[in-house]
Amino acid sequence: MRLLVLLWSLGPLLWQLRTSLLRPEALVAPLLEGNPWTLANYQLVLSGDPPFWRYLGNSALVGLATTLLTLLLAVPCAYGLQKQGGPLRWGVGLALVAAAMFPTVLLFLALLEMARSFGLANNLLTLSLPYTALSLPLAVLLLRAALADLPGELEDAARLEGLHLGQRLRFVLLPLLGPALASTAILVFLASWNEYAIALTWISRDDLLTLPIAIARIGGGSVFTIPYGAFAAATVLGSLPLLVLVLLAQRSIVSGLTRGAVKG
Amino acid sequence: MSTASGAGLELRQLCREVGERRLLDRLDLHVAPGECVALLGPSGCGKSTTLRLVAGLDPASGGQVLLDGEDLSERGPGERQVAMVFQSYALYPHLSVAGNLELGLQVRGMAVRERQRRIDATLDLLQLGELRHRRPAQLSGGQRQRVALARALLRQPRIVLLDEPMSNLDAQLREDLRPELRRLLCGREQPVIYVTHDQQEAVGMADRIALLEAGRLQQVGSPRELYTNPANRFVASFLGRPAINLLSIEPGRQLGLRPEHLHLSEDGAVAARLLRREWWGHQQLLWLDSQWGTLRVLTAPETATPQEPRLSWQRQHELWFDPQSGARLLH
Repeated sequence: MRLLVLLWSLGPLLWQLRTSLLRPEALVAPLLEGNPWTLANYQLVLSGDPPFWRYLGNSALVGLATTLLTLLLAVPCAYGLQKQGGPLRWGVGLALVAAAMFPTVLLFLALLEMARSFGLANNLLTLSLPYTALSLPLAVLLLRAALADLPGELEDAARLEGLHLGQRLRFVLLPLLGPALASTAILVFLASWNEYAIALTWISRDDLLTLPIAIARIGGGSVFTIPYGAFAAATVLGSLPLLVLVLLAQRSIVSGLTRGAVKG
Repeated sequence: MSTASGAGLELRQLCREVGERRLLDRLDLHVAPGECVALLGPSGCGKSTTLRLVAGLDPASGGQVLLDGEDLSERGPGERQVAMVFQSYALYPHLSVAGNLELGLQVRGMAVRERQRRIDATLDLLQLGELRHRRPAQLSGGQRQRVALARALLRQPRIVLLDEPMSNLDAQLREDLRPELRRLLCGREQPVIYVTHDQQEAVGMADRIALLEAGRLQQVGSPRELYTNPANRFVASFLGRPAINLLSIEPGRQLGLRPEHLHLSEDGAVAARLLRREWWGHQQLLWLDSQWGTLRVLTAPETATPQEPRLSWQRQHELWFDPQSGARLLH
């Protein structure tokens, strides 16, 4: 059973890896002679103009800017919301859920119009603005839930010791929110890394493309052949940074830092 | 109690309302310097509410908190020099024992050397030196409580508040810790307020007990005063275990008799029948059926019990109450 689930989730990834390492001829039929394995696909992708790592860098920049901006805004929002009592919290919470579920497709025209009139197009940092706006509702909800799980007496104790709001956040609340911050950051980063439609309409300069757009353009060269190998290689390269990120953050996500705060 | 001197902590007409609910209703209380007053009462009676108002953690709806004659009402919790030990201890889980003590001093900008000196002294006082690098999760309940206490005392507060500091410990440990807690807390200059729902703990810890119910102060005085001279039926029945017997002997008056004040005798006024006997070693508790319902009687453990005993008592032990309001009737 466990094997089945593993196969279900890892299968496509491994198949993609295999595809990226095979010669194009070997994909269609088993080769009768010669070595079917090759790194040519990677070579092709990495030697493009601009080189592929450029797109990786673009996406990473947008992702980091989005994540940073989102957390910077979401933490105070979540704190304020958590401190509010009763109906207001409920109402704002509902509005946030509604915003989180709003279909992005309906925003394209408006976003495009905004990009045009404010001159936001073809700039990686401004691209993180709509991304942040789209991630914010979910981030606020997640962080608010995490704050609600912290025992209120912890902050009371800090208040009595004379810590002002900034110090309480810095020394008490944020360290305890570590796991929640890490998982929220990963979700936000992922959403930005994968985003296609807005990037497609806001960015037109070749050297500023983000990863999903760049990958989609790989096939554009010819009508007669679809470069499966190059696609696969690009996909593998595009997923590697995410893999590293999740592996790094996994420890802090899993560790239950709040254990022992209250009677254990 | 006299409040003329102005020294110590004084609560004047302190109120707390949340929406329509009145959590605390015009509380007047004076705690002298060095005195430990226990706030006692059932859950939801307003004990913890009172502490939070004194600490400044919640805003009061009315009334004043005065310390040595100075009104604290306008000050935030960080400026009142109040230390509080929480029921959950509220230790910072991501910091070591020493880190927990240090944070408050650090944000006040105290020099590193002075911080270290104070932390070392406090850890020594509470015999926590060996645990200084542990995290709260690695401590036992009693150790956590001591760390919370250390954090409270470290800052040399002007008021010490304790919110059910022992309720997370087992009964044996609670009893063992009481003298130590008294030694550390009481007899210093600060007024101490100790919140508990356990009357044994209140008697063991406090110089005086303030008994609260439904947000109102019922009576304040020494344990002996409250026990022998209760202001009303609630006080009489809340204090003392086994609980006082309440007998509706005549219309318009209710008689309260403590179990230890009822005696078995040949010529008592009331006939009774033995239902059950609980033997406690130093005493035995008899459950007796009588014309006024079931009565509890405490006697010496070796007292023989006739099958058809009669009960008597002395007039001086009678406590009379109004059956409706529960107010004490002085005869």
